[in-house]
Amino acid sequence: MSLFTHEVEVLDPIGLHARPASQIVKLVKESELDVQIGRPGEEFVKAKSALMLMSLKIKTGEKLTLTVETTDEATAADIAAQIQEFLKG
Amino acid sequence: MSLASGAVLSGLGVGLNSAVGEVFFVKPQAPLPEWTKSSKSAADETAALKTAIANVAASLAALGERAGGTSAEIFEALTFLLEDEELFELAESHIDEGWSAAAAYGKAVDTFAELLGGDADFDERVKDLQDISKRVQADIAGIEMALELPEIGRLVLVGEDFSPADTAQFTKAVVGVITLKGGPTSHTAIICRSRAIPAVVSCGAAASLNNGDTVLVDPVGDRVLFGGDETLATKAISFVAINDEPLIPVRANIGTLADAETASAKTDAVGVGLFRTELLYLNSKVVPTVEEQAAEYAAILAAAPQGPIVVRTIDAGSDKPVPFLLMPHEENPALGVRGFRLIQDHRDFIEDQLKSLEIARVQTGREVWVMAPMIATVQEAKQFADLARSIGGYKVGIMVETPSIAALIDQLAGIVDFVSVGTNDLSQYLFAADRMNANLGALSNHWQPGLIRTLARIADGANRGGFSVGVCGESASDPAFAVVLAGLGINSVSVSVSQVGAVRASLSALDLAKAKEVANAVLVATSPEEAKAAALDALSQL
Repeated sequence: MSLFTHEVEVLDPIGLHARPASQIVKLVKESELDVQIGRPGEEFVKAKSALMLMSLKIKTGEKLTLTVETTDEATAADIAAQIQEFLKG
Repeated sequence: MSLASGAVLSGLGVGLNSAVGEVFFVKPQAPLPEWTKSSKSAADETAALKTAIANVAASLAALGERAGGTSAEIFEALTFLLEDEELFELAESHIDEGWSAAAAYGKAVDTFAELLGGDADFDERVKDLQDISKRVQADIAGIEMALELPEIGRLVLVGEDFSPADTAQFTKAVVGVITLKGGPTSHTAIICRSRAIPAVVSCGAAASLNNGDTVLVDPVGDRVLFGGDETLATKAISFVAINDEPLIPVRANIGTLADAETASAKTDAVGVGLFRTELLYLNSKVVPTVEEQAAEYAAILAAAPQGPIVVRTIDAGSDKPVPFLLMPHEENPALGVRGFRLIQDHRDFIEDQLKSLEIARVQTGREVWVMAPMIATVQEAKQFADLARSIGGYKVGIMVETPSIAALIDQLAGIVDFVSVGTNDLSQYLFAADRMNANLGALSNHWQPGLIRTLARIADGANRGGFSVGVCGESASDPAFAVVLAGLGINSVSVSVSQVGAVRASLSALDLAKAKEVANAVLVATSPEEAKAAALDALSQL
């Protein structure tokens, strides 16, 4: 297992609100991987709770770091790309 | 106890049509239990919480399926919050501290509500969370939440009284409504009248009905008949028109552009007798500009039925707060700073409203009358009249709702061009009986002799003062009562859009001399039942 780090940007005008948060949680649960999200330099939260993600109160334009724990670099990149898609609004 | 077929349950009728349907009892929502520590094991409480979450998820799924379309998505999103993992883990940690399942989930939701709080983007989600929390706690306590009404069938809902949240959930299967408490101006009655759902309110005897009983809701007869069918319904007096136009103009009550359009398209209303303006503001978070207000007013004035349009300036209070006007909590909002009293702190807003109306009046070329609600003294009437005349070229008047101004009507001569009586609030203040208190519904009956005599004095004062007097409360929507009003010397009535036709019919069926006879017969009655019987008796002899 290794930890892959990616950066995503929140482009949704309402920020990281309920819908993208739910989409992320669904994706992460289906992948059965440990995915964490947070602002660079701040504490990260596990991306398996929409409420936790929403409580970060991330606004549009913010850049986030996400870490994916997996053996496969391509899987991590794929998850990051899908999450970036959800954050486009 | 079981009722014999044909048993009569008396109440107060709302509407002119009858309906037969099956009794569907709606239990009052019991309060949720206090949060307590549990004597059971943490494992038992965790299991109980899991079961409750599963039950609520199932009921949300059922609601979503019934609602369909975009509403289904809303229920799906609620389920997602309901089953949130971190929320569950936090609740589990409270269970480990000894709290009961309901308390643990409630506390966990509160924590997240606080985390999400203070951010406008999440206001709705916080409300959703609290809604979910209540559903889970209710499920654990075995309390039924909200109305879950079938979409098909012919239901007669029976309950203590119904809240706005309840009536919003009435489905098309609801053909009739019976309330044990609540009067003719209760929220239930107003909604049923506007949606033309036959209702009988203040019908305490309906407590002895059972689910599935067939009943006839007979509003004209002020009763419910157990086991009755439509043939037993009391016929509304069928008024035979002797004149093309009613004795006095029948105007429409409106609050929105849609109301104005309906009133024009579907009724023969002569103008608008009550345009409630607060509906335009209750949902705005910031003060609309004069230009924005003027544009809204112009659209509504242009759409309103031909004739004068009587506009009531904002009638808000701490029970009906406008978000951008700070309204501190009051112990007694009905007796607090409301209506024209808002001028103390919000003069700018009231001036802007009058300015906007003036722009819309000039732009549309309509005849506009403005009036202020909640006027208690002649000085206040003069203050409003002077202010309004300094801003616009409309006719100026006041609402008569307080007993104090009702006693001084003749002193308004030379100050106002007209007055309009709001019988709902006048009753509430005259009888010192809260309109919203379901236990006092019988006192809001417009056939109460105390109200009728007061209306007679108001009409007399206005006639002597030489200005016109209208009635725009719910009472005017009762066709028989409208005749009494005309007989008492009231110059116009304004009624719910759905009642314009019925009231025009009754007022076209007789001449003024006959209406005065009816009013005189009513004025000697000593009880509301006697007053109504006297009117119906006189009218049936037409």
